[in-house]
Amino acid sequence: MAMEYRDNEVVFSDIVGVEDAEVLLAWLQGREGVRADFAACTHMHPANVQVLMAAQVCVAQWPVAAVPLEVALRSAFSTGS
Amino acid sequence: MNELLAQFLSEARDALEGIGGKLMELENAPDDQELMTQLFRTVHTLKGNSGLFDFPEMSRVLHAGEDLMDAVRHGEVQYSQDLADRLLDAMDFVSALCDGIEKEAPVSPEMANEAVRQAKALRALIRTTAEPEAAAPSDAPATPAGPALPLAQWLARVPEAIRMEAWEQAQHGSPLVWVHYVPSEECFYQGDDPLHQANLTPGWLWTGMAARAPWPALPELDAYRCMLDFDVLAAADEAEITTHYRYVPDQIQTVVVPPLWLLIPQGDPNGGPVYDDFVEDALGLLESGDLAGLGRAVDTMLDLSSAALWLSSALRWMQRLLAMPVPDVAALRRLVESLHTLQAPAWSEPVAVTVAASSASAKNVQTGNVHAIALKNVIDVQREVLSLPDDAAWLPGRIKAAVASLSGCLRAFGRHSELEALNAAAEHALAHKSAAGLAQWLDAAFPDQAETTSPAPAPEATVASATPAAIAVESVSAAPVAPVVSSVADTALGAKELLDADAPEADVKFGRRSEDATPKSLKVDQVKIDRLMNLIGEMVVAKNAMPYLANRAEAVFGVRELSREIKAQYATINRISEEMQDAIMQIRMMPVSFVFQRFPRLVRDISRRLGKQVNLELEGQDTAADKNIIESLGDPLVHIVRNSLDHGFEMPDVRLAAGKPVAGTLRIAARQEADRVVIEISDDGKGIDAHAVKVKAYQKGLIDEAAMDRMTDQEAVNLVFIPGFSTSDVVSDLSGRGVGMDVVRTAIEQVHGSIVLESVKGEGTRIRLSLPLSMAVTNVMTVESNQQMFGIPMDAVVETVRVPRSAVRTIKQRKATVLRGRVVPLRDLNTVLGLAAPPLTNDSDEYAVLVVRVGDAQLGLLVDDFHETADIILKPLSGVLAGLRAYSGSALMGDGTVLMVLNTKEML
Repeated sequence: MAMEYRDNEVVFSDIVGVEDAEVLLAWLQGREGVRADFAACTHMHPANVQVLMAAQVCVAQWPVAAVPLEVALRSAFSTGS
Repeated sequence: MNELLAQFLSEARDALEGIGGKLMELENAPDDQELMTQLFRTVHTLKGNSGLFDFPEMSRVLHAGEDLMDAVRHGEVQYSQDLADRLLDAMDFVSALCDGIEKEAPVSPEMANEAVRQAKALRALIRTTAEPEAAAPSDAPATPAGPALPLAQWLARVPEAIRMEAWEQAQHGSPLVWVHYVPSEECFYQGDDPLHQANLTPGWLWTGMAARAPWPALPELDAYRCMLDFDVLAAADEAEITTHYRYVPDQIQTVVVPPLWLLIPQGDPNGGPVYDDFVEDALGLLESGDLAGLGRAVDTMLDLSSAALWLSSALRWMQRLLAMPVPDVAALRRLVESLHTLQAPAWSEPVAVTVAASSASAKNVQTGNVHAIALKNVIDVQREVLSLPDDAAWLPGRIKAAVASLSGCLRAFGRHSELEALNAAAEHALAHKSAAGLAQWLDAAFPDQAETTSPAPAPEATVASATPAAIAVESVSAAPVAPVVSSVADTALGAKELLDADAPEADVKFGRRSEDATPKSLKVDQVKIDRLMNLIGEMVVAKNAMPYLANRAEAVFGVRELSREIKAQYATINRISEEMQDAIMQIRMMPVSFVFQRFPRLVRDISRRLGKQVNLELEGQDTAADKNIIESLGDPLVHIVRNSLDHGFEMPDVRLAAGKPVAGTLRIAARQEADRVVIEISDDGKGIDAHAVKVKAYQKGLIDEAAMDRMTDQEAVNLVFIPGFSTSDVVSDLSGRGVGMDVVRTAIEQVHGSIVLESVKGEGTRIRLSLPLSMAVTNVMTVESNQQMFGIPMDAVVETVRVPRSAVRTIKQRKATVLRGRVVPLRDLNTVLGLAAPPLTNDSDEYAVLVVRVGDAQLGLLVDDFHETADIILKPLSGVLAGLRAYSGSALMGDGTVLMVLNTKEML
């Protein structure tokens, strides 16, 4: 399970593939102040990243075990958290 | 080779054939929308498939082809001959790539370049023919993509820690490259993951993502339209980067990052006069060359300040600079001075303002990555140093310092050979206590820097600092400029692509899945079918053993009942095995269109090359025959068609003068006649001049005078099948080397086919090929000779007769007999095979004569007795036996014996 939705938080783990982007986008619609937890995430397809960026999601946890992903996410969400 | 790849290659070839064929059809019906759409789809599918593998060259060319087809499909580009030529060219290239892949040969750089060239050529067609307004946007991106790559701004996005790491890497000699990667909006559909790609960049240090445009509201957002730009900082050669991004060369821009540019202090600008004191102290220390003191001051200041301050960031960078083996004083000074303004030093501006620095700092100016300016600065300063009066006590030190700097420059710029001259000049200078010699060497070695030197008075110093400014911009942007210029066009196209792709692409995208759902046919490796063939062959042999068994049951064991049952069972098995055999034959059957489909292209190419006009008519393309037969047809047919085009058809003006239509007609028709496939190739060209052929044959010594007179026209034209015969006096690249028709005949005869040529001078030529439907089962007649059984293919057998010994005459030591008024030469099979026994006669003293057809002649073979005919599976002789030309093969009979099948052609 690469994505887990809680009240106002989405938790990513392992590899989040391109096909998840549509679901994510649907889930994000109509929500505000959503937080994203990347702690267990190792890679995320940029389609998801851009959905999160467009939804102005706040980052709750940066990736723990994936440096490149963390670096890239930090560059994308530097103002968000 | 893995299965997927093998399948891809096989499909690719099919697709390429299909593309060629459709282009041909389009030539006749350029406005056929349906055809155009099919063509586009084929190219599109092929491109998509090629994307599954690591063939960027192929994908690139196909992509360009696809774009072109798309433009044609939408009427933006007019279909033209030129366009067809280019596309065919490109498809040939792709075919060549397939060949390379099959041979598992790596793609050579030439091929890669060719791919780029092909893609460009195809894209050029879109550009030149497209509407002017379509061309307009191609200029637009040039402005933003121009020399003003905002590298400094980009670098500011990189966190300090990573920039410091990059700095470390640069200090260890690794080049730093910035990659600005703008993936196409469609890239997600193509299965790309740009982030993954970016993160896997060789020497990866940092990836940045940024939105290309302000985000739309969520409901309007298309998650699968890539709206992100990627930036990567990497410590790697540009070449490595280019290789990594070789699939998307048009989507990246690379810039070499001068290490100094990394020095961007960032943080809380909260500061005040405290800094001013520090700045003054630091400048003072720099002035006096007390770097150690400066280091201590920096360390203390850093301890006192909060780490988040802008000041602290600058101080940390000063530490880095001071940690260099030869600290860059100029850079340090700028950094220190930047504390005044709390603005990062604009490293893109030259460091040259330090020209007036003390001689001590001179040797410290490092040959940084801003090569040109740095070198210039160093040289200028050295020149100034050397031009100082020679009376100072520290002159030797000064000279040594200058020499050290200069040799460093030479090494850095790879001018190692000049080091010796420098050392010689230095020794000379030291010995004579005069720097003049060295200064002369300097002027000679670096003449291009000479003009801006001259012992600089104050105003000129500013000029000097201004001039390098221009150079600086130039040198920094020099690297990106070249790729940018070349990529401008592609970027523009990319943009256009996106525009085009909007609506029409959508149906293709979403229709794709359902198309693939149910494959209607299987692709089976031929080896598997062949195996099945062999098995059924063995089964037929095993089955044929049953009648023998039944006979034995009756004759040897006397069980009549059992014999009958075995026979009944045999009938059943026989029926099933025959059906099976037939079914397998059906699998192997292929339509002749497999061979025919190459002709439209061939005829078109050749006739255009020769300047002739030829219409090709193909008929009976569905006629099917065994795969081996069809495949063996390919080369002979190509030969015949080429001959026809080259020799057969006249030039348009000649045709017109002869009262024929300007365009000639080449007809290739296939049909089935009983158990044979007949293929007729006819043209309405000038035909064959029977008389000329006769004369030519006579001149070449192929026939004698008597034969020449006797010969009918029909016989004469068939002389062209004699090896070494060619009527054309000119050897063209198409035909005329005299290896034509005899090769054709040999090839046809190899598959037990026959060839007949008819020609009427001035009216045309007709060649008729007759081939068996299948070679799998051969019907042979068995004969006995010297107590051995031999098989003769039924299609060679004319008749079997009994000839009384008295009717056999000897003519010139050869036996012959007269059959129905015709002389038939006789040969003793035993003699032919080297058996000592004489032929036997029957009770009425008659010889058994098997009359066989050998080419056009007939020959009587004297055998001992005739036996039944049999269906056999003929296996060619292998190993050492393969050299025995007297036999065409062997077969296993039902009773387990081996039947040798004679090759009648060798009997004459």
